[in-house]
Amino acid sequence: MKNFSILLLSVLTTVIACAQNPKEVKDNDVPITVSEAYEYEVIVPDLINPWGMAFLPDGSLLITEKSGELIHFVNGEKITIDGVPEVYNRGQGGLLDIQLSPNYESDGFIYFTYSSTEGEAKGGNTALMRAQLSGNSLSNQEVLYKATPNTTKGQHWGSRIVFDDAGHVFFTAGERGERDINPQDITRDNGKVYRLNLDGSIPTDNPFVGTENAKEAIWSYGHRNPQGMLINPETNEIWVHEHGPRGGDEINVIKKGANYGWPVITYGINYSGTDITDITKKEGMEQPLYYWVPSIAPSGMAMVTSDAYPELKGNLLVGSLKFVYLEALYLDENNSVIKREKLLDGVGRVRNVIQGPDGFVYVGVEGVGIVKLVQN
Amino acid sequence: MKTALITLASFAIIIIFSASKGDQSFGTSASVYIPIQKDTSLQNSIKRGKTVYEDFCMQCHMATGEGIPGAFPPLAKADYLLNNRTKAIHAVKYGLQGPITVNGTDYNSIMAPLGLYDDEVADVMNYILNSWGNSSDKPVTEKEVAAIEK
Repeated sequence: MKNFSILLLSVLTTVIACAQNPKEVKDNDVPITVSEAYEYEVIVPDLINPWGMAFLPDGSLLITEKSGELIHFVNGEKITIDGVPEVYNRGQGGLLDIQLSPNYESDGFIYFTYSSTEGEAKGGNTALMRAQLSGNSLSNQEVLYKATPNTTKGQHWGSRIVFDDAGHVFFTAGERGERDINPQDITRDNGKVYRLNLDGSIPTDNPFVGTENAKEAIWSYGHRNPQGMLINPETNEIWVHEHGPRGGDEINVIKKGANYGWPVITYGINYSGTDITDITKKEGMEQPLYYWVPSIAPSGMAMVTSDAYPELKGNLLVGSLKFVYLEALYLDENNSVIKREKLLDGVGRVRNVIQGPDGFVYVGVEGVGIVKLVQN
Repeated sequence: MKTALITLASFAIIIIFSASKGDQSFGTSASVYIPIQKDTSLQNSIKRGKTVYEDFCMQCHMATGEGIPGAFPPLAKADYLLNNRTKAIHAVKYGLQGPITVNGTDYNSIMAPLGLYDDEVADVMNYILNSWGNSSDKPVTEKEVAAIEK
């Protein structure tokens, strides 16, 4: 009898102790199913962490490796580009996103974000640079923005880059592992979406221009670690997704000067299972368009606009680092998520996804390379 | 009477666990690590290693080393880790790619190089080797890490 009681005790305690924190389940979530409708074709093999990619007008491809290598993939050959700034390849930092200037044909500029050690203090922080490609090297490098202060923390650098059609560049920087100091303070960098003119100057109509001590490049704040960004071609809105902690990854529609709440409000909890905050909503703080519980660890985001994949047209694709698939989020006319699918289930850690100029979707997968999404 | 007491004790323990709202499994929830010796330098290394772990490792391997099934292998009571000390240090120092088997499950993914200094590798190894049911009586030193070549 004693033995039985002890056994019962063990079983019960195990069952109860394993029960989830109620915040680790999202009520009434849109269920996700596995789609077998797509396969992939490897376009660029053997990459460790293909963080960013951009097609040049001649159809060749620029690829950033987090380790700091800029690769020009042309006619099936990988050429390493010289003159890339030294990157602080630490933790989640390194050479990050890359995009061509909207005026590339006339100005030839390439924009990229990276972890920079520039400055006196030890460590690094996120920087935006533009440069031109001359042969196999970068020239005319200009640092357009360097977040401060440097820190040796490995976490939360962001970063993605997009352009609007009015001469602005937007980029993100994560909160660098200082959630209680950075994201809610507009006098500090980090945990922000930034807007600059293409030459790096600060637009006079940025929301915090003239606010005392503010970092005037800030466009929105209260972010944790945004690693996906796009301009919605139908609405011209900027959409950004960010990593939550344990749960609470979000897709947000970015508004000028708005506060996205981290860490005052969140749908996530600490990695240890304890609460960060009791609240998920607050006056003056924006609600996400969609949030994930549990976290998928989103990186890269694209909206399919081509006719190459009829089912996916007008819908979102988001990479999952954690669950190693490409997530399709289907939107209704109000941009609410109504259906979710796992594409390329098990492909590997999906770091990046873009729609190429040929209308096909290209996916950067860690340890695999750049793959093209192919409909079966 | 004895049975009744044990049953009562069971309920008491169950209530305590319910109240603690832990989502960690029973075996690992009580303390993060158990001091296995009085070596303060090891204890300090473990303490620093916890900070490194929370910055660089926890997002994938989780707070109690259980990993993510199917994607990222566990570190808690992981045979690969405990039986391949040198390979484990190598992985933390230089990253890891390709197929490995941990506790009978196959993984084939990639851990990019973390960019840690040798002393941080030693600290985080000491934390991992002495947490969540793991124990090692031989501390990893900065010198040992430095000697492991790519």
